[in-house]
Amino acid sequence: MKYQLVSGLETHVELATATKIFCGCTTAFGGAPNTRCCPVCTGQPGALPILNKRVVEFAIRAGLATHCTINTTTHLDRKNYCYPDLPKAYQISQFDKPLCEHGYVELESGKRIGITRIHIEEDAGKLVHESGFTFIDYNRGGVPLIEIVSEPDISSPEEAREYVEKLQLIMRYIGVSDCKMQEGSMRCDVNISLMPVGSTKFGTRTEIKNMNSLSYIEKAMAYEYSRQAEILDNGGEVVQATMRYDEHTGETSVMRTKEDAQDYRYFPEPDILTVVIPEEKVEEIRASLPELPTDKLKRYVNELRINPANAQLLYKYKAVCDFVEKAISLGAGVKNTVNLTVGTLYSKLETEDDKERFNLPVTAEEMAKLVKLADEGKINITLAQKTLSKMAEEGKPVSAYISESDLAGVDEGELEGICKKAVESNPQAVADFKAGKEKAIFALYGFIKKATQGKADIKKADAILRQLIMK
Amino acid sequence: MAISEKEIKTLARLARLEFSEEETKKFVPEFEEIINFADSINQQVEGDTASIREVTTRIATWDELREDEVKPSLPSEKITSNVHSDNGYFAVRRVVK
Ligand SMILES: [Zn+2]
Repeated sequence: MKYQLVSGLETHVELATATKIFCGCTTAFGGAPNTRCCPVCTGQPGALPILNKRVVEFAIRAGLATHCTINTTTHLDRKNYCYPDLPKAYQISQFDKPLCEHGYVELESGKRIGITRIHIEEDAGKLVHESGFTFIDYNRGGVPLIEIVSEPDISSPEEAREYVEKLQLIMRYIGVSDCKMQEGSMRCDVNISLMPVGSTKFGTRTEIKNMNSLSYIEKAMAYEYSRQAEILDNGGEVVQATMRYDEHTGETSVMRTKEDAQDYRYFPEPDILTVVIPEEKVEEIRASLPELPTDKLKRYVNELRINPANAQLLYKYKAVCDFVEKAISLGAGVKNTVNLTVGTLYSKLETEDDKERFNLPVTAEEMAKLVKLADEGKINITLAQKTLSKMAEEGKPVSAYISESDLAGVDEGELEGICKKAVESNPQAVADFKAGKEKAIFALYGFIKKATQGKADIKKADAILRQLIMK
Repeated sequence: MAISEKEIKTLARLARLEFSEEETKKFVPEFEEIINFADSINQQVEGDTASIREVTTRIATWDELREDEVKPSLPSEKITSNVHSDNGYFAVRRVVK
């Protein structure tokens, strides 16, 4: 039988705040074990968590950027489970009043993947199991996360990939997270069920936990699809379970089934007050949102007339877009700016991270100066490329490579004098030209170029020469 | 209702807090004020229960949230001083097979 894949994703995104969600400990990555901890984030008795304002702001930003409605009265809940990565034996999360609800993310095809909810919660500590011990580091404990829960609108591994990529892009644009999957600042749980094509009744689902790479997500979904399809084809029933994906074998295996599912006994967190967010605050955050990726891509193609291939290359990196847009706002032409960026600068921005941060010592101001020279025909595009390449390598301004005198040309009086000399010193060429040999004038051009070190405007010189000869 | 210094000390011990003698003295009238406030609510409730709405927690205004400013953490020796530790890690009996 043919089956339709039905999938929803729960995506954890680490927020780029300076401090943890309930205490002033730093969220900076790394550090010796348990050096970024205090009584609050290690769950000591009597410690009182206080919610970080920026966590709420960032979560609202994420919600607005994914078209969610914001619940302006929101509280936190205790999710009880006993495992040593949680020092309190509960995680502070949100259960029935998430900060954001009912949004969507639009795919390239125009299809919308619904966002059920976005809530805030604290990250757990890190465990290392070695010999007879489990070693615990709570430096990551209490780092703020948002969990973005999608509707089961995803119909293929490719759609899942695109959805996650779009989320990454949006979160980076609005500055709430760097969303680096390999470093764990973004990770996904993937729900999958199958139903016969044409059916509307969802099958039993399984959940693959903690996926930290786009390609693993695709592979794990494809594997899980065929595993479930085989069970159904053989008349069996899929067992609701939590799975793990083994990157080495490319297979999924059962971690636990529904029978031993956890009862989290959620209840309202008594240590943290219910938060009432002023409407003005929400509007202030909405007004501060930058242009979102999809809108930018559309504008680049439709308004700036950037060709779609280049627009795709640019819009993925907000820092690059900011650079290009600033150069354009300073008067640089769109076409040359884009071509020089994609053609010359991208070869210097080798890694994704370099592009993400626009890691080059070229300012938009200097870029605009250079592009304007090319726009006005004062330098040709090859020289512009070479100059930009050096600027990117050496971090010097345009003036270090192209001087004023290079561009100033030769003034008219001087040029006339030189033309006269050219005519006087080349009697043969002048005679040939008079006799009708057009090409003989090139010898005079050569003289002028040499005398001015190539700075003379040959068009002007040509006009002067002709006058002199015909006199 | 009167609160004694002894009661403050008991509460402090339960909450694993340490107060100086000076602080303990300072908290006596403050605690009395809190208790009296709770008492006044109780009197209200006895008078008119219909108008009382259940509230799970007090409401925080936006300004009561914490600013995102880094404060010093505790030294890791302090954090692990009450537990079995190894190289700065909390060390517990292995939790997975
Ligand atoms: Zn802390």
